[in-house]
Amino acid sequence: MTARRLEGKRCLITGGTRGLGLAMAKAFTRHGARVAITYRRDRADADAAVAALTALGGEPLVYQGSVADAAHATATVAAVNAAWGGIDVLVNNAGVTQVLPMALIEEADWDLVMDTNAKGAFLFARAVLRGMIRARAGHILNIGTAGSERVLEAPIHYAAAKAALRGLTDALAREVGRYNIQVNLLAPGLLDVGMGQMLPKHRIGEYVEQASLGRLGKAEELAEIAAFLVSDENRFMAAAKIVADGGL
Amino acid sequence: MCRACRNAIAADVVATATGEVWMRKRCDDHGAQEVRLSTSAAWYEETRAMTQHRVAPRTGKRPVALGCPFDCGPCEAHGQKVRLPVVTITSACNLDCPICYVHNKNHDPYHMSPDDFGRILGHLRDDHGGELDIVNITGGEPTLHPQLCEFIAAAKREGIHRVTVCSNGVRLVKDEALVAQLAALDARVALSFDSFEADADVALQGVHLVATKLRCLDLLEQHGVSTTLIPVMTKGVNDHEVGRLIAYGLAKSNVRHLEIHTITFTGQGGRTFDRSGRISMIEVLEGIEATTDGLLRVEDFVPSPCAHPLCYQIAYLLVDPDGGAPVPFTRFMSRDDLYRALSDRLYMEPTPALEAVMHEAIDRLWAEDDPASARTLRLLKGMLTAMFPSDRAITRHEAMAAGERAVKAVYVHSHMDEDTFDTERAMDCCDSNCYADGTTIPVCNSNVLYRDKEARFNDAPAVWNERRGGHRLRVLS
Repeated sequence: MTARRLEGKRCLITGGTRGLGLAMAKAFTRHGARVAITYRRDRADADAAVAALTALGGEPLVYQGSVADAAHATATVAAVNAAWGGIDVLVNNAGVTQVLPMALIEEADWDLVMDTNAKGAFLFARAVLRGMIRARAGHILNIGTAGSERVLEAPIHYAAAKAALRGLTDALAREVGRYNIQVNLLAPGLLDVGMGQMLPKHRIGEYVEQASLGRLGKAEELAEIAAFLVSDENRFMAAAKIVADGGL
Repeated sequence: MCRACRNAIAADVVATATGEVWMRKRCDDHGAQEVRLSTSAAWYEETRAMTQHRVAPRTGKRPVALGCPFDCGPCEAHGQKVRLPVVTITSACNLDCPICYVHNKNHDPYHMSPDDFGRILGHLRDDHGGELDIVNITGGEPTLHPQLCEFIAAAKREGIHRVTVCSNGVRLVKDEALVAQLAALDARVALSFDSFEADADVALQGVHLVATKLRCLDLLEQHGVSTTLIPVMTKGVNDHEVGRLIAYGLAKSNVRHLEIHTITFTGQGGRTFDRSGRISMIEVLEGIEATTDGLLRVEDFVPSPCAHPLCYQIAYLLVDPDGGAPVPFTRFMSRDDLYRALSDRLYMEPTPALEAVMHEAIDRLWAEDDPASARTLRLLKGMLTAMFPSDRAITRHEAMAAGERAVKAVYVHSHMDEDTFDTERAMDCCDSNCYADGTTIPVCNSNVLYRDKEARFNDAPAVWNERRGGHRLRVLS
């Protein structure tokens, strides 16, 4: 890390207690940001995340709930606003996937994946935007997937939800750009956390073979890209889709 | 091979008018001999005709001098690499089973050193390009080796997916702490378990062990130790129990699969055991069909593509976590597809071939849209959801373990003895005893010829005879 890119920034990261979300929370903390994180269920993960962020000098705020629950989104944003007087950065990171072929995806599966990945981003964006519009500044970063950007084998509901995020990013960026609010999308490839830990070795091998850099991404690498994207150094990117997949 | 002198002799394998398969041979010194290989010539021929997936050994080849099975190491002619490495770590055993098919020695027992075990792991790593499905630690009774857990940990450090420990269970019942250690090390116990009946138990094990075995299985289940049950089928003794043994194994939460052996007449016990107990592979399969109430049929089994087709027959079953009847894979995919899915490995692993076959099966079931398919699809979805949970990240190893809990297997494995010895099978053998110098010897070859010559396993080792055979042509009379 060469600079503290986010000094004093008030950042809210959904799904921030593990994987890429936690890596971003740590990176943002190291860059001088105040970080609030949400999680859905696992209290132990949340406690561990708080301990890790505190060890980095942070004073994290933590909120539990489903991002697909409008009341949770509203209450979380209100609580962070009350604590810090506003939110400068929202990262819509919370997501869920299921490794299922089309034949096994039922309506409830579709709803779960769409609600968490797409509706959740909408709910949190809507909740933070009023404050950002008042402030006439802000960054919203949606976490997509290379699976919706490139020809990667991905479950159809997950790919569809992440593609929806891409549309949301485009449209919202146009709608709120006039208030100096930058909305972008970061689409990671396969990382060394989350699904990258679970997939069979031959799947990892196929990815590594196709990637120009010949390896999986590291969560910390993506977190540094995210830190730049939501920083003041990034003044002109909006509606951008940044694919960080090692060069598929 | 002559049953008396164990010299190599030519043999004919013939189908009889009654539809059986017999091996006929004649030793110049010991006369004519014959043995029934199969009660079904049709099954035998169809099975033998299947093409296996041969991958020759990469290392340790020895020149062919005397011919199979006298040049093991492996020899340059051996057709299959080691898929199931067997490492004998001790000569000590706390039982003296009448059907024991190896030679053991309790006086001044041999215990393999950690250095030698490490060397074997190194050879296996070199031969498998760094990735190995399984290693089987055996004896004697390997739980009597004082450094067993050290060996298991070393094998795990090498990244070996399944480290199995053969055991008769006697020590495990007396030492629950060892069971806990095995659980902590994620070892798999391959427990010999032949019978629920007292008479059969004594006939095969020499002592009453049913209660010990059941207690051992309960302990293994309590500690969550993955377990393989290994019953040895012996005609007229315990073959009528095969269905009960399978049902028991399928119901036990920690039993991952059953490996049913046909009795083989080698070793310190088996060589003199009553040979009227001989049973062929097809008889075991038919026995399974007859005693499992429609759960498993002969056609639910396919040969392992990684072994000679007459050596292994395998059925995989989807487990119903709600207690319903398991579903054999061949009820939702063809035998050819199952054979294709198993083509890379002796034990099922998440390979591209398996993924492709499973995906096609799911699509076909979905398209069929009938009630039976709906249940199978539900079980398959449960398996995938367990392997790739949406609410937490698990490791690749945990994902594979979850998959194994959702699927059980029944293997039938037929060993050879000097009566049934067939060099065609021996040359394609994938189960080998592994030695510290890199030597590997197919298990049947070892049992029939090599083990009784090793001083570490015998107080009075046998000596080689002239090993007739080799490349000599048969003399027509």
